[in-house]
Amino acid sequence: MKNIFAVAGIVIKELYRRKDFYVLFIVTILICLVMASVNIFNDAKIVRYLKEICLLLVWLSSLVIAITTTARQIPAERENRTLLPLLAKPLTRPQLIIGKFLGCWLACGLTLLCFYIFFGALAASREHQWPLLNYFQAATLHWFMLGIVVAMTLLGSLVFAAPSSNSTILFVIVGGILFVGRHLDQVALTLHEPIRTIVYSIYFAIPHLELFDVRDLVIHNWPLIPWLYFSLALLYALGYIAIFLTGACLVFRRKAVN
Amino acid sequence: MNSPRPFVLLLLALLVSCFGLAAHLQPQFQAWRGSRAKGDIFNVVLGDSRRMFANQFYVKADEYYHSGYYPTMFDDNAAFQTTHMAADTGAVNDKNHGDEHGFLGPTRNWIDAFGRNFFPDRHTHLDEGGANDDLSGSENVREILPWLKLSADLDPDNVQTYTVTAFWLRMRMNNAKEADAVLHEGLRNCPDSYDILFELGRLYYESYHDRDRARNVWEQGVRLWLKIYPTLDPEAQKDNRFIMEQLTTHLAKLEEDAGNLPHAIEWFQAAQKVSITPGEIQKQINRLKGKLGEEFNPLAKPLY
Amino acid sequence: MTAILRTEKLRVEYRSREMRQATKVALAGLDLEVGAGEVFGFLGPNGAGKTTTMNVLLGFVPPTSGAAYLFGIDVRQPIARQRIGYLPELTYYYKFLTAEELLRFYAKIFGLSRAEMDKRIPELLKLVELEHAAKRPIKSYSKGMQQRVGLAQALINNPDLLVLDEPTSGLDPLGRMKVREIIQRLKNEGKTVFFSSHELGEVQSVCDRVAIIHQGELKAIGRVSDIVGKHANLEEAFLEIIGYSTPATP
Ligand SMILES: Nc1ncnc2c1ncn2[C@@H]1O[C@H](COP(=O)(O)OP(=O)(O)O)[C@@H](O)[C@H]1O
Ligand SMILES: [Mg+2]
Repeated sequence: MKNIFAVAGIVIKELYRRKDFYVLFIVTILICLVMASVNIFNDAKIVRYLKEICLLLVWLSSLVIAITTTARQIPAERENRTLLPLLAKPLTRPQLIIGKFLGCWLACGLTLLCFYIFFGALAASREHQWPLLNYFQAATLHWFMLGIVVAMTLLGSLVFAAPSSNSTILFVIVGGILFVGRHLDQVALTLHEPIRTIVYSIYFAIPHLELFDVRDLVIHNWPLIPWLYFSLALLYALGYIAIFLTGACLVFRRKAVN
Repeated sequence: MNSPRPFVLLLLALLVSCFGLAAHLQPQFQAWRGSRAKGDIFNVVLGDSRRMFANQFYVKADEYYHSGYYPTMFDDNAAFQTTHMAADTGAVNDKNHGDEHGFLGPTRNWIDAFGRNFFPDRHTHLDEGGANDDLSGSENVREILPWLKLSADLDPDNVQTYTVTAFWLRMRMNNAKEADAVLHEGLRNCPDSYDILFELGRLYYESYHDRDRARNVWEQGVRLWLKIYPTLDPEAQKDNRFIMEQLTTHLAKLEEDAGNLPHAIEWFQAAQKVSITPGEIQKQINRLKGKLGEEFNPLAKPLY
Repeated sequence: MTAILRTEKLRVEYRSREMRQATKVALAGLDLEVGAGEVFGFLGPNGAGKTTTMNVLLGFVPPTSGAAYLFGIDVRQPIARQRIGYLPELTYYYKFLTAEELLRFYAKIFGLSRAEMDKRIPELLKLVELEHAAKRPIKSYSKGMQQRVGLAQALINNPDLLVLDEPTSGLDPLGRMKVREIIQRLKNEGKTVFFSSHELGEVQSVCDRVAIIHQGELKAIGRVSDIVGKHANLEEAFLEIIGYSTPATP
């Protein structure tokens, strides 16, 4: 357990010693502040469009950070050959995978925390209210969704050799799920037979990331998600994380490293 | 040989020739780049595809009008043929039918059923009530304005963005001044729009209580309509009869308020020609005729 | 003498990804035994199979056939690696960490307590003469310093067996001498050192025993003096053993 956290700690250290996180964060802040300064019919109480833009940027940035950070973990270890001294220590390969996963996931959590605090401050400056539970639900679901993405990326980084191709494929998959995942079954109905069954099976097999996209909950001040379903969604995410990590361990187990 | 001077000179020479060439070609470029060279930033970046985005944002405004609870292209859209924020202004022909509450239909499978717990299963309008209902609702409807503004910036020729924006600014935000500005900008971009003139007339009549200006604007709208209507294709003609009915009935009401009952009757009769419910208007005409009779025919009243 | 490191008919084939290329036999039935407290030199020209042998010992590459044991435990079990230190060839450690942080990280993986770390890490930094640079990020290190960081991390768990893959390659004479000194000191502490090299001079000066492999096969094994035998020095013996006849010097 200790060695898993040691690996995770290195990932987090790397994230905050590299500059890309700060760049994304500052770009997000700048865009939001510019948008906030736009004068719309001399009405300073308009807030939802600002929340929407800010959350959109937060989502994009978080996906970029999650995918790019995770995609380079194991390839960089291979390229710099740090994988060798690491695996020569009493650290099993599954422990390494889990450590990397935890590191990337926690790193995403920390960045999300920064982003959501900024978001909350921006929204509160106009709305003068803190719907903390809404923020909590939205941010937690967001974080668990990133967990699935991180686990998928980790598996991808073991299957595809180049981190760039892995990131590209992951962006396409994640974007695809977020945009059409919910309606894939309806798409299937419009198709002809062999393809219909395939699309239908894909619908049931993929992790439905779009379930976790509850931005409207905070944009439109929707009522809270029932806590039962909220917890079920977290379980659902954990299930998929476990599936992808198991897959990653299986792929990595027999792989020669040299 | 290692002196950098030749390279510096070469660099200078290249820069000078590049600038010279650019300056020389600039007029030609201007000539054939067409509207892109002159337009605003959206025009330069997006070209004509900006209209597509504009419509996206227009629909986005309506989505906000429903607090984000809105059908996608995969859901039942029958009740969302006309944006509700526009339909509620009473200035467009409303083509919606069906159940706007049940656009999701029955659940399809467990993933769909599970997913529906993550957004509210209720139909809301940012502000209940439209043109004919209670207008004292909340000011939340302000939230649709940014998207309408963006849509208007992207596609300045879309008349509906101006009328819808102006309506909600005026009715809910009590901001007649901004509404006035929006409509005038609309008129600058679409001088022949009787829809904008109709909304402008309502602004003058209902907010400024300026009967003469309202009459002028509405009558100008009717003239434009009469000029443009014959040039439209049959489908568009069908849609455009609604605004004519609105223009003429509003004129009729205005004249009635002003006491010009014969004029009012004339406007109602004009409205009858384009209305899908001529019977209703006939009742108005009869009512006015009755009133007219009371005033001008002493025989109608009992003499003793 | 108990065997700390042992291989039995170890055979490794690299199957190439491209279908058309033949499989490459990197090790063809290697038998080795290294006893406790020995400094053992593992010699061979480039591509002989030295790194491959170490990869098998550390479980990075599964043997095609045969077996390898560390402390009598099959290398396929992770527990076999608990008491070894390993220095890979050509490694670039996490550039964004300082030497101290890197050692702390590896110490955590070994489950060292904080007190142990606080004692062990300065000791190691002193041993490899990096105290002055301990708080600088590794990306600012020279090649020799990086190699010494590598040595320090190999020693973090106070191992009984050290596996060093070409520890001196790419270093200048001074750097090589320092590495040799460290090996000597470890030997004095009673550790077993198994290291590969093709720098024959240094092997001659520090090793108790050597093995020479060529094209995956063991060509000679024994005490340095036995192998040198009638030759003028180890270099000549080496060249002859791998089948390269010295051209007559004019
Ligand atoms: N991953 C690999 N795939 C294919 N061939 C390899 C691989 N690694 C090493 N080899 C080959 O195996 C042989 C032994 O390599 P190696 O053990 O690295 O030699 P040394 O370390 O003695 O220089 C070489 O011919 C090398 O080309
Ligand atoms: Mg080698």
